[in-house]
Amino acid sequence: MLRKQLLSLLLLALPCYAADSQWVLTNSTLTYHVSHPLHQTDGVSHAARGKGVCHDGQCDFLIATPVKSFESGDTNRDLHMIQVVRGAEFPMVVVRTHLPESAAGSTTIRADLQIEFAGQTVQYKQVAFQLEMHGNEAKLSGTIPATLSDFKIAPPSLLTLPVKNDVPIRVEMTWKSQ
Amino acid sequence: MTSILRSIQLLSVLLLLSSGILAAQTENQPAASPPSAPSGQQSQEQKPPQNNLPNAPSSSRKEPSLSDLGFSSSQTQADPKLQALLDKRTHMLKVHQRMGLITTIPLIAAIFSSAGAGGKNTGSASRDLHVALGAAAGDLYGITAYYAIRAPKPPGTPTKGPIKFHKAMAWIHGPGMIMTPILGAMAFSQKNNGEKVHGIAQAHMPVAIVTAGAFGAALLSVSVKF
Repeated sequence: MLRKQLLSLLLLALPCYAADSQWVLTNSTLTYHVSHPLHQTDGVSHAARGKGVCHDGQCDFLIATPVKSFESGDTNRDLHMIQVVRGAEFPMVVVRTHLPESAAGSTTIRADLQIEFAGQTVQYKQVAFQLEMHGNEAKLSGTIPATLSDFKIAPPSLLTLPVKNDVPIRVEMTWKSQ
Repeated sequence: MTSILRSIQLLSVLLLLSSGILAAQTENQPAASPPSAPSGQQSQEQKPPQNNLPNAPSSSRKEPSLSDLGFSSSQTQADPKLQALLDKRTHMLKVHQRMGLITTIPLIAAIFSSAGAGGKNTGSASRDLHVALGAAAGDLYGITAYYAIRAPKPPGTPTKGPIKFHKAMAWIHGPGMIMTPILGAMAFSQKNNGEKVHGIAQAHMPVAIVTAGAFGAALLSVSVKF
């Protein structure tokens, strides 16, 4: 009798200890857009990896991608991009954010992002993302309003004309709950 | 008596479990964080403190780290040598670009001055001007080419995009820029001797046109998106 009671108590107590859940980034497309009077360029990376750890209803997310994984369709431009953003010295773009677990229930979330890139750490507050839940998968999309000056990057120029300061980064990610 | 004992045992088990749960929850309690600030950005130098964002991950929780993501050390470690190589490459290609643009000036001028350099014109002034402009274009072209050829490139980098066409054009305008002045010198000499331009020297103008065309196409391929 006592064994049964103990067992049921233990089973009841288990969820209290195993409250942590995790999210893993399964698919991603990150696209930066550069505007120049003569060119409109998009650099795309599918190499991002990410992890989210949830506890007590709060989740910490970390997403990272190598700088050199961005491809614009022109290897010369990509090498120049790596040079300009000092991608060999600071080879990773790292994004950290923190969200309540309850955010999974909304269609729009606003996240405070901390981005490490080009030797700088910049915080973007209340960046809006669209969220779609499909079972245990979450599809997230949005645009980070990044600028070159935020990261102290000198705007590259072509034919003496510099590119625009705004470099919005389109984010499309699929996360899976584990 | 047995039932009382069982009750005591059950109670102690409950107490033990509840104390365990409480302890676990206290350990994982997130640190108090200030309320979210309105939108805006702040920039800092690298190696950031990770908990200065209003609702950034708290240090008391087990946050995911870069090592959890499975990137290899070669991907995450800084490579100052590669950065230095890229800096040198960018510097040299910037000079290449600038010199290429400057080269177009005497090149176009040489094309226009060619109208007075050939034909039945017996005077040498316009021919000399054409030679001077052609020589200036040739010299500047040489410097432009040097900076492109000597610009270092990280090993194993493929060539993709408009730069492929830009480089392919060099196989036309490169030999053209060697052939054009040679043929020009031959034509110049024949003309100065009072002869009609003949033989291979006749190819000076067509070769010059093809060379200038390839040069222009190379310039446009990296300047304008087709």
